[in-house]
Formats: sequence, C-alpha cells, structure tokens
Amino acid sequence: MSDILAELQPIFRDVLDDPALQITRQSSAATVANWDSLAHINLVSAIEQEFHIRFSLSELAELKNVGDMIDLMEQKLAAK
Amino acid sequence: MNAYRWSELHTGLAHSFSVQLTPAMMQDFLHLSGDTNPLHLDATFAKAAGFPDVVAYGMLTSALYSRMVGVYLPGRFCLLHGIQVDFSNPAYVGDWLTVKGEIAHLNDAFRRIEIKASIEKGEQVISKAKIRVGLNER
Repeated sequence: MSDILAELQPIFRDVLDDPALQITRQSSAATVANWDSLAHINLVSAIEQEFHIRFSLSELAELKNVGDMIDLMEQKLAAK
Repeated sequence: MNAYRWSELHTGLAHSFSVQLTPAMMQDFLHLSGDTNPLHLDATFAKAAGFPDVVAYGMLTSALYSRMVGVYLPGRFCLLHGIQVDFSNPAYVGDWLTVKGEIAHLNDAFRRIEIKASIEKGEQVISKAKIRVGLNER
C-alpha cells in the first residue's frame, strides 16, 4: 500500500505542479491546492498510463480520497 | 475535417500533414501576438545571435498543433484541454514542416484523449508536444 502511495507522489507533484507536495491517504481535492476538475482528469489519466490500469466513471465517483484510490488500484493490480 | 467518434478512436491512431512557413504567416502572427522581438523580424539581429535568418515564432509553428487536433485528430468534436510543447530546433520562413500526431492514451471515464505530437523539418525535430483533448460529441 505504501509503495503505491510513494509511486503516486511524483505523479501528483507533476500534475498539480507542486514539487513540495506530500500526499497522504487522507488527501483529497478538498485538501490539496490546485486539485480542480481538470487536474482530476489529468491525475486519473496519468495514473492509468503509469500503472497500466483503467478506471470506470462509476468507480471514480466512489472515491473520497487518495486512500480510496490506492485501495481501488490494489484491487486492479492484483487482478492483472 | 475528420469527425471521429469515441468508438472509432484507438491507441496508435495517427495523422500527419505538411505546411510551408511563409512570410505572410510571420506577418499575421506578428499582428496577432504583438511579439515584436527582433529575433523574428530583424535578420541582422538574428545573425548576430547565431541564427542564419530570422527565426519563426515558436508559437506560430505550435499553432499547427491546433490544426492537428481541431481538424485531423479527433477533428470536429475536439475540445482542447491542455498542451505541453518543448522546442528542439528553430524553424525558418520557407521551411516545409510536417506535423504528426498519434493517440497515446484514451481515458474512457472522462473521454480524454492524449496525443503525442511533433513538428519536424525533414529528419530534424522542431518541437514535440503532449496534447490533451476531450471529445465533445453530442
């Protein structure tokens, strides 16, 4: 789990243009600066490409924070 | 003009077209942008800076990326979300430029297309771009 969080750090820093950003499982669009709707699309697309997984809109709608995203990613990566 | 629908798109789908840079394009871009930097207008200045002639505006050549996505890939239903351009070499009036674009990733959830694109002069790369577009088909 922590490995995925570590791998997500550079993606979030790059997409949100904040080299000092430290995301946690509790991070969300409400707590992280510049995480707007367009940035959200960029994040999802970047994660899909980096991890070679795909998300559906319904799956994404259920996510409340980075921790939820990591849990979903673990499910998808385990199923590969 | 192409009019790709989401179901018709796939990774690797590619288009290209060629354009010759003309003095009229430089004049039009000068008036449009207001960029009066002598590197683009004064051959003496450009040569003193180490270039053989005035350098074409980077954003003029990059305007061709707009044509790539708006006309070719995906065409009619394109909605530009973002573009990242890196310039590798200068271009000059009279150059024939080939603009290439290829779908690198499709995000089904948000119907977002990521395109890897380049502008080339023969074997030389003028610029590379990552272009993000949505598909506004209704």
